[in-house]
Amino acid sequence: MSEEQSLWILLPTGQRASGEWIDDTLHSRASEQGLLDRLNQVAAFPRQRVEVVRGPNADGQVNEMFYRRGWTDGLPIVPPTMARVDAMLRGGGQPRNMVLGEAQPLQGIVTVEKVAINAVMAGCEDCHMPFVLAAAEALIEPEFNLRGVQTTDENVTPLLMLSGPAAKAMHMNSRFGALGPGWRANAAIGRAVRLIMHNLGGGWPAAVAFAGLGQPGRYTLCLAEDEEFNPWDSLREELGFAADDNVLVVQRAESVVNVTGGLDDLASVMASATSSFSRLHGGAVAVVIAPYVAKLLADEGRSKADVKAYLHDNSHMPAAEFENTWIPSRLASQTKAPRWVKAALANGSVPAVEKPEDITVIVAGGDIPIPQCAYMPTWGFPSCRIAKKVDLPQGWSASMES
Amino acid sequence: MLRASAAAEAAGVPSSSLVCDGFLGQGATTAVGLGLPNLPMAKVPGHVDTQSDNELRDNLTSVTVKAVIENLTAAQPAAVMIPEPGPQDVVMEGSFDEINRFFYENGWSDGLPIVPPTRAKIDRFLEFTDLPPEHVIGKLLPDNREATVWNVAVNGVMAGCKPQYMPVLVALAEAMADPGYGVEHSGNTPGAETLITINGPIIKDLEFNYEQGALRDGFMANTTVGRWWRLYLRNVAGFILHQNDKGTFGNTWRVVLAENEDALAKIDWPPHAADFGHARGDNVVTITRMTGGDVIASVFGQKPEDMLPYLADALISQTGWQLIFTVGMADGSYTPMLVLSPILAETMAKAGWSKEDVRQWLFENARIPAWKFEKYIVEFTNFYSGGRSMFELAQLGKANELYGESKDPDRLVPLVCDPMDIQIVVSGDPGRTNAQVFSHNGILGFPTARAIRLPNDWKNKLAGAG
Repeated sequence: MSEEQSLWILLPTGQRASGEWIDDTLHSRASEQGLLDRLNQVAAFPRQRVEVVRGPNADGQVNEMFYRRGWTDGLPIVPPTMARVDAMLRGGGQPRNMVLGEAQPLQGIVTVEKVAINAVMAGCEDCHMPFVLAAAEALIEPEFNLRGVQTTDENVTPLLMLSGPAAKAMHMNSRFGALGPGWRANAAIGRAVRLIMHNLGGGWPAAVAFAGLGQPGRYTLCLAEDEEFNPWDSLREELGFAADDNVLVVQRAESVVNVTGGLDDLASVMASATSSFSRLHGGAVAVVIAPYVAKLLADEGRSKADVKAYLHDNSHMPAAEFENTWIPSRLASQTKAPRWVKAALANGSVPAVEKPEDITVIVAGGDIPIPQCAYMPTWGFPSCRIAKKVDLPQGWSASMES
Repeated sequence: MLRASAAAEAAGVPSSSLVCDGFLGQGATTAVGLGLPNLPMAKVPGHVDTQSDNELRDNLTSVTVKAVIENLTAAQPAAVMIPEPGPQDVVMEGSFDEINRFFYENGWSDGLPIVPPTRAKIDRFLEFTDLPPEHVIGKLLPDNREATVWNVAVNGVMAGCKPQYMPVLVALAEAMADPGYGVEHSGNTPGAETLITINGPIIKDLEFNYEQGALRDGFMANTTVGRWWRLYLRNVAGFILHQNDKGTFGNTWRVVLAENEDALAKIDWPPHAADFGHARGDNVVTITRMTGGDVIASVFGQKPEDMLPYLADALISQTGWQLIFTVGMADGSYTPMLVLSPILAETMAKAGWSKEDVRQWLFENARIPAWKFEKYIVEFTNFYSGGRSMFELAQLGKANELYGESKDPDRLVPLVCDPMDIQIVVSGDPGRTNAQVFSHNGILGFPTARAIRLPNDWKNKLAGAG
């Protein structure tokens, strides 16, 4: 067998600080949940860093094997060969063995190498690596509450919003179909984040993660803020970064709700039961405003702060209606409601979020006169809007050759 | 320190180990080896020695104390076995280059090419021991893996040893597993490296170099047995850099030091192994963990009295912080080594000096002022805090009485507690008047000797081995 027909694969799965592999825990969970008929090679892998898979069709073998071991999101992956991972590491510019932290709930150690392995699998280009690293760092921040996100019965997922000049350079979509298929940066960076959660944190659906339905955003939920059609301060500047910085903003998002319309339409959706969890937990929600709508608002002289204030003011649900919704009436007793919710209810209605600043606003979408906006409600404690300045290694460019 | 916590936990007493930031990974892996992978640890941020009192207090109250409370009050999750390849599994088939890449990338090699440990090669090694391959020599911390005849042979093949070195390797594994040696300390931060010495006719049987260049690579037996030691520490005990091996600098493994027994016979000096109760003619390996040392060039003089002051001075100059092993930590465990070239030993013997005479002279003359000794163990290293003088320590029974003979800070005190603590070995270029001194890591790698057991029919097997 010639070496060319062999794939030298680095294993994407997590090891704890003690050396235990999270797969051994996952094997028990998957067995209890009856998943082992489909994932019939869970925990059956050599306990080492590198594995060699011999051709012919080594790519296909790796794919089948990784799927059966429970290491994919169900779609084919790019086999993480040593050469591809090395190139990804060069794209990231961080040392291979650097430890970023532990991924909850199964506490796999997040090293730069493990991030790179999962980024390769997700189909990232080498130039995406700094953004995947920034996202991984955000996930393991305590305020992201990765344990909660991974294990809740809610359908929450990380929302990645990139604000900065690198988005355009690496063709991260902020226009037509920014939340849809077709753009590698949006697709692969978001997917890498999911694979990291899956393979290092062990958030396997139906074994550890018990989200009732999940959501398509669990494959990827990643878009850029449009630089050209945003009439206001950029998100990064609003958060105190410089105009030429690249800043990745990560929030917890429930499914994307399409809103065709303007601020009143958005506010009416926000006022509905979609906002139940921000009324239970507090926290930051996100609103994507179509370039066309943004232009109209700006032309009317409204600032971004005005927009947030308007949405906040008009996202109230009457107290009587609120008290009949599922969460306060059946899930959580009123005594658990945050103080601001109780105060608002005493005044007769409760807004979607506590303060206007809890609404993240970005402009993205097709650049023709259409009003395709979106609302992304949130879930969970504590309030979370994590902004990571992305340090690009020297020589970074969007056309990095491996 | 985790070993103390492990003992407490095993006895059913909740524990919390305070672990500095840089050691958390080592702590976690060490805990696995101790059979308690979830041994509770409380992080102490940063390095305590470089923090001000206020910084340290803030760090402890904001981070450490919370973890200690959690450690002592919460139930720890149960232990989970970590599976790994079975000892006889074929882990890889492929070309020489592929095997080497595979072993290196998986952390099983030191970076030099290894000889792929095939079953056939391992079997050849097993012919040179009467012990069965599954024989358990002992368990090696920190990974607590079993040292077996089989894995001794596997690493022997990998290191490039010849099959007939097997009896030496087995004896070394036995010495490594001896609790008196303390293999579990092999990853400590000073990063000392073991020196293997060998005595007996096996030196010539296996063609160890015991003459010029005795400490240099270049002779297969000396070189590959030395390399085996380091591979065995890696693959069986589990000492790997950036994980359990926290040596700040470390150094390369040392080649085996074989004694020149012809020279010893000529002057009727006992072999090094005699220090450990073995007779002349016994095949013996001895391991001692050495922190470093230096050559002593051009030892000039016709009489021992002319030469020995220079050697005593070298013992002094190569001994500093290691004095904590004479007073402070496992008192009297500091055993430095002096390697004399044959001509130096012969010159001393011609004057009628025995090895014991030489040791006695060095013990009495390799001395430093008490204030300097105290500086090393108190002021420089902060190892002995509390500001007590050695005189006081001796009065309290905390230091050998040798150090309590006077209060005069300028009095001269010995480096070691007993003349026998100075190891003397004869080797190197027979005609050069140079010596070598090794400073030693005390209890954290205490001299440990093991007789080498030869297999039945050794001479014939050896003749057939090539």
